Amino acid sequence: MAVAHLDVPASRHAPGRRWLSQPSLALLFLWVMFWLLLMAVGVQDYYRSGGTHWWQPVLWEGSSLAVATVWLVVQRRADRHYAVYIDQPLRWLAHHMKWFPLIVLTFVPAVYAIRHGVYALAGVTYRHESWSYVFVYESVKLVMFFGLWLGLIFGFDAYARSQEQRQRLLALQKSLAEAQLAHLKAQLRPHFFFNALNTISALMQVDVPRADRLLSRLADLLRATLQWGDKELTSLREELRMLELYAQIMQERFADRVSLTWTVDPAVLAGSVPALLLQPLLENAFKHGVERSRGAVRIDVEARREGDLLHIVIRNSGSVLAADPQEGVGLRNCRERLNVLYGEAGSLRLAQLADAVEASVTLPWQEHRA
Amino acid sequence: MMRVLVADDEAPARGKLQRWLKEQSDIEVVAEAEDGLSAAEAIERLHPDVAFLDIQMPGLSGLEVAAQLEPEAAPLIVFVTAFDEHAIKAFELNAIDYLLKPYDKDRLLKTLARLRVRPADASARAAVTTARAQTQSQERLLVPVGETLQLIDSTTIEWLEASDNYVHVHTAARSYILRRTLQDLLEQLGDRQFARIHKSAAVNIAAVKAFTPLFKGDYEVQLRNGKLLRLSRRFKDQLFGRMGR
Repeated sequence: MAVAHLDVPASRHAPGRRWLSQPSLALLFLWVMFWLLLMAVGVQDYYRSGGTHWWQPVLWEGSSLAVATVWLVVQRRADRHYAVYIDQPLRWLAHHMKWFPLIVLTFVPAVYAIRHGVYALAGVTYRHESWSYVFVYESVKLVMFFGLWLGLIFGFDAYARSQEQRQRLLALQKSLAEAQLAHLKAQLRPHFFFNALNTISALMQVDVPRADRLLSRLADLLRATLQWGDKELTSLREELRMLELYAQIMQERFADRVSLTWTVDPAVLAGSVPALLLQPLLENAFKHGVERSRGAVRIDVEARREGDLLHIVIRNSGSVLAADPQEGVGLRNCRERLNVLYGEAGSLRLAQLADAVEASVTLPWQEHRA
Repeated sequence: MMRVLVADDEAPARGKLQRWLKEQSDIEVVAEAEDGLSAAEAIERLHPDVAFLDIQMPGLSGLEVAAQLEPEAAPLIVFVTAFDEHAIKAFELNAIDYLLKPYDKDRLLKTLARLRVRPADASARAAVTTARAQTQSQERLLVPVGETLQLIDSTTIEWLEASDNYVHVHTAARSYILRRTLQDLLEQLGDRQFARIHKSAAVNIAAVKAFTPLFKGDYEVQLRNGKLLRLSRRFKDQLFGRMGR
């Protein structure tokens, strides 16, 4: 299964994407508690050592809090740039660590500028150790602080990321299961099988070898249908063989009403195509062309390569494309699979020609490796 | 002798049914049809006793063919289908004969045995009404044009006029004569679009332009094409009620 190719956009409600999502709120709460604790310790320590102005320790811690909060906000804003590294903790850490010198260089001057400023407003001089001592002392504290909070943030981000991935995986599994179910339903095609069985039951009254051949063709087709899911891709040769089996059964039913031509460049037979992708298109040609018109219907199947692209065309006369085509499960499925496998490079187009309806599939040329 | 019509768009399927029917001494296959329209034409022309109608046919499905028949004149109908959950449920519910493809000879013989003893009228009526319920039979009407039948869009019909056992169907372009009762035609076309204005006339509500009161509670109906018709008081309240007057 081509899970590796799938790129389902993250759900809009995925956690960790919104500003102040639940993990961010929890982080904020921890941040506030942490600083309240620091402040309480600071004030206690201050009074124990004989201080009398409570605002002084509050200012010391508060200025640190203010500048650290600015940096935290910046980190939360810039967080998604580093989200890609969340699966590689060391790289994630390294990318954050490169900002550390800048943080030290801005943190100390900013914090001390605030303290000096407020002291000056209060008419007091702020006394502290020498600047070189302060830088070394604050840097060491910052390393520990930075390490602690980076660890916490990593934990939160990793959690949010894993939640998001889980949601995406669930959504992906759901859509895959839906696609498979739809495909299976379309493939079981009770109408086709029961009618084919009736044709065989009619033929065996008059031509036993022919009925026998038709029966084994039907068995081959049923087998191929049941094997779907084992392999996502197949060779165009194999895919066309399935189309031929189907066409042979249908021609037996509508012998007098349908003629088929195959225009396939032998060089493209080795090309890789999604398994059973073309079947619904040929079914539509029969369903809308042959089964609904009274006259003779022509069906053309063409495959050719143009540079890096493989073009496959199935065209039928005898039907008109509805103005507002309600796409059936078969077509929708075909489109979805092309999109999942090739993105923009794969397409299915329906067109109304002068006297026919044409379904053309375009996909990147790749040689099929069994 | 039971006269039978076989309608299926697939030659092998027709061949199988015909072969088995021909083995029966009391059955004569009077016609084979490859699509719905020729099946309807053959029924109209040959009046078979029994019609085997494949459901999935180009143009007109077997159900649509049955829906266009007048129940009193319809043959006994056996629907034939490969897979049609919805219709089959309805057949079961209304005790309507059907064959599921592929069927074997025993199954066909059982059906034939039932047909031989069945009173024609009641079961034909059930088949037609069930077919009408399963299809959009009010949207299209099968009308005779010369020797053949043709489908017309029922919105193009302006009014219906009964005379004896026939109904004249008037459209802007031309009129058609159907051997149906007005009652049954209105049953098929439904009462959303058509309303009876008289014992022997009905109008397409969309084609009505104005009403003019006459004496004794009767009214005159003017159609958009200028045609004047009489609305009898028996149908007045019903019509006005439906037109929101």
